Amino acid sequence: MALHEHRTECSYSRFILRLKRAFHMFAGGLAVFFLILAASPQSASAKEGDTERGRAVYEKRCWWCHGPEGDGDGPAAEFVNPPPRDLAFGLYKWKSTPFDEYSPSDEDFERMIAGGPHNGTPGWDGMSQTSMPGWGVVMTPGDIKDMTAYLRSLSGLERAEMSAVSLVGKIGPGPESIERGRELFKDRCAECHGTEGRGDGTKKLRDDWGARTWPRDLTKGWTFRAGSRPEDIYTRVTVGIPGTQMPSFADPFSNKAMTEEERWDVANYVASLDEPSQRPVPETVLKAVKVEGSLPLTHSSRLWDPAPEANYFLFPQIIAGDKAYTPSLDSISIKALHNGKEAAFLLEWNDPTNSMPWDPKAVEIADGQLFPDGAAIQFPAGEVKGGRPYFGMGDGRKPVVIWRWKGPEDEPGKESFGILKARGFERLSRKTVSEDAGFEASGVYENGRWRVVMKGPVNHENGPAFEEGAFTPVAFALWDGSNGDNKGRHVMTGWEWARLEKETRGPSYIWPFAAGGLVLAAEMLWLFLGRGRKD
Amino acid sequence: MRLIKFLAVNLFFYALLKAPGLLAGKPVPSSVITMYMFFIVMTVLLVMTITDEGANGLFAPIRSLLEDPSRALARKVLFVLLPVAAALSVQYLSTDPGPPFELRSAHPAPPGVVRAYGKVYELDGLENPLRALEKENPAAFKELAREGGEVYFRNCFFCHGARLDGRGHYAYAMDPLPMPFTGSDTIAQLKESYLFWRIVKGGPGLPREGGPNISSMPAWENELTEEEVWKVILFLYDYTGNRPRSWKD
Repeated sequence: MALHEHRTECSYSRFILRLKRAFHMFAGGLAVFFLILAASPQSASAKEGDTERGRAVYEKRCWWCHGPEGDGDGPAAEFVNPPPRDLAFGLYKWKSTPFDEYSPSDEDFERMIAGGPHNGTPGWDGMSQTSMPGWGVVMTPGDIKDMTAYLRSLSGLERAEMSAVSLVGKIGPGPESIERGRELFKDRCAECHGTEGRGDGTKKLRDDWGARTWPRDLTKGWTFRAGSRPEDIYTRVTVGIPGTQMPSFADPFSNKAMTEEERWDVANYVASLDEPSQRPVPETVLKAVKVEGSLPLTHSSRLWDPAPEANYFLFPQIIAGDKAYTPSLDSISIKALHNGKEAAFLLEWNDPTNSMPWDPKAVEIADGQLFPDGAAIQFPAGEVKGGRPYFGMGDGRKPVVIWRWKGPEDEPGKESFGILKARGFERLSRKTVSEDAGFEASGVYENGRWRVVMKGPVNHENGPAFEEGAFTPVAFALWDGSNGDNKGRHVMTGWEWARLEKETRGPSYIWPFAAGGLVLAAEMLWLFLGRGRKD
Repeated sequence: MRLIKFLAVNLFFYALLKAPGLLAGKPVPSSVITMYMFFIVMTVLLVMTITDEGANGLFAPIRSLLEDPSRALARKVLFVLLPVAAALSVQYLSTDPGPPFELRSAHPAPPGVVRAYGKVYELDGLENPLRALEKENPAAFKELAREGGEVYFRNCFFCHGARLDGRGHYAYAMDPLPMPFTGSDTIAQLKESYLFWRIVKGGPGLPREGGPNISSMPAWENELTEEEVWKVILFLYDYTGNRPRSWKD
């Protein structure tokens, strides 16, 4: 019932928006007509940007994704997720003007086009987690103005009359505000964003163009499209995301409307959900901490506490075979332990769905056929001499061993764990492992997060050739079955480095002391000899 | 004075090696820095001590510190500091060596022949068969370059980027990073036959020094036709304003 009301109210406000847009197009057309009649083109272009010059830049740089007419249907469109914006429709997601103002501000256009340095993803300056790059490095501010004028002309959009949402009422992110925000979040946001904010509300959402949309995983601030400061989040909550189910919570017609203070509280709470420690740092080494006795098979064991977390970016398998052009998972956190004979890995990743076929919710929101979720760890088979094997499942000369865990497929608790040996992705041999060999795995899905432990012997023919203190290549892969991931369609890392740490007795100071003593002795000797020479 | 100069020169080279890491976030591996610094220090020492006068000038401050009676206090301080410094540097060296580093050549020497599409291509003298149209029929050439662009944006831009600068939206997850095509130091230095080889054979077709085991570049002979490969090469040069090197250069 609540959902139904929500829908009607959404479409009502969208109806208002469309009316407004129709009026704007009419008014825009009139304005253009009068401009042509009266104003000199120079004065108009100085202020507004030159539509024709914008078109020229568009036809060199933009149409490949956004299409020749701006309909979002360029040659690249079907290979990217989210899809390129339909510029002819004139509805923009990332704007800072109020919900009842159709047009983004000039600054919004500039930010969308130019991009800028990014605090989360090194080397990427475009819009987070999209294929829209930052054009500021190749387009001048003048180009961007021209482009803005051209984009407006594609949909007959007027310049915004209202200015950006005001931030002057800002409430600081104190504990009281965050606590109030937490309560509001439960009621207004958790339905889509999940109780812990990982975007696991499990509702099948589509935008106005029919494309699937996923509520943001709020624990990964570095993936927010338009910034993750409380101010950015306040703007988003106040404006909404036009064209999607993310409404404006400032819309008085909404039954979920919030006051300005409430929106700041929610923004502060959401900003507090960010876990920057999850953000991958390039070239992190996975350190396996040494423990005594048997290794844990559950993520909740205290034994994991001393193990440092290594986070890696994932890229989709688009190299060979069945390619994963529209991945849904972007990063993975790993901890590792060993006891000299065995190694255990704890893989954690956020996934909005559990992909369990007996769960009606999972079935409802799956894209096409539902496959089980999964994870894999890849090691070189045997020692690494003269270079690592090919990172994509090995090659003819250098095979790899893969530990492959699959989520439950038919009934609860029935996960599978197998060991594969591969000499390239077309040459696989699979062994089902029995527990006596010491290979075990177990996974738990909770509140939008998988936590899977895999363990097995080291220096075994089906395990990694680990030597304490030495670096060993390791790679990871994940499957999101509700995104159609299966077999070769998955996300992955390249080779990373893991190391089995030696005893955990704490750092040894023997050698530094020895070196200091040696130098001291040499000095004494020199003094002694010098004195002898003087005498 | 000469001692200060000696230190300054070495420091300058050290800063040069550290700069990419500090400024551009792409550090030179510490093992490489150590190796380079060893040769740099040795070379500077050699050059500065090539004459007796130079050697005396370089070592004079050290000798005076050790022998000059008026500098007894400095000598005593040094006496204490030296063992401490030794202990600290050993401590520093014994913590965490970085992972092994594989030197990788971005543009390794190409093979003599490439076997693909049921043919044998002699790379020596191989030309882009579509290149001639650039002069003969500019309109048709433009259209081919555009078609090459469509190939690029359906297959390549995820990694090599919509700006063709090697920074596509998945590039940051990859190591080594995808190649850029912009700038005058990449495809402008190469012949079209070289690009043909790199595209058709991809990462797995690299010689050992090119890092075939870590390159994410697919072998496109399985996915693209010969004509598509030549068209995408036209596009890469046309879009970036670069000119391929020709066999006549």
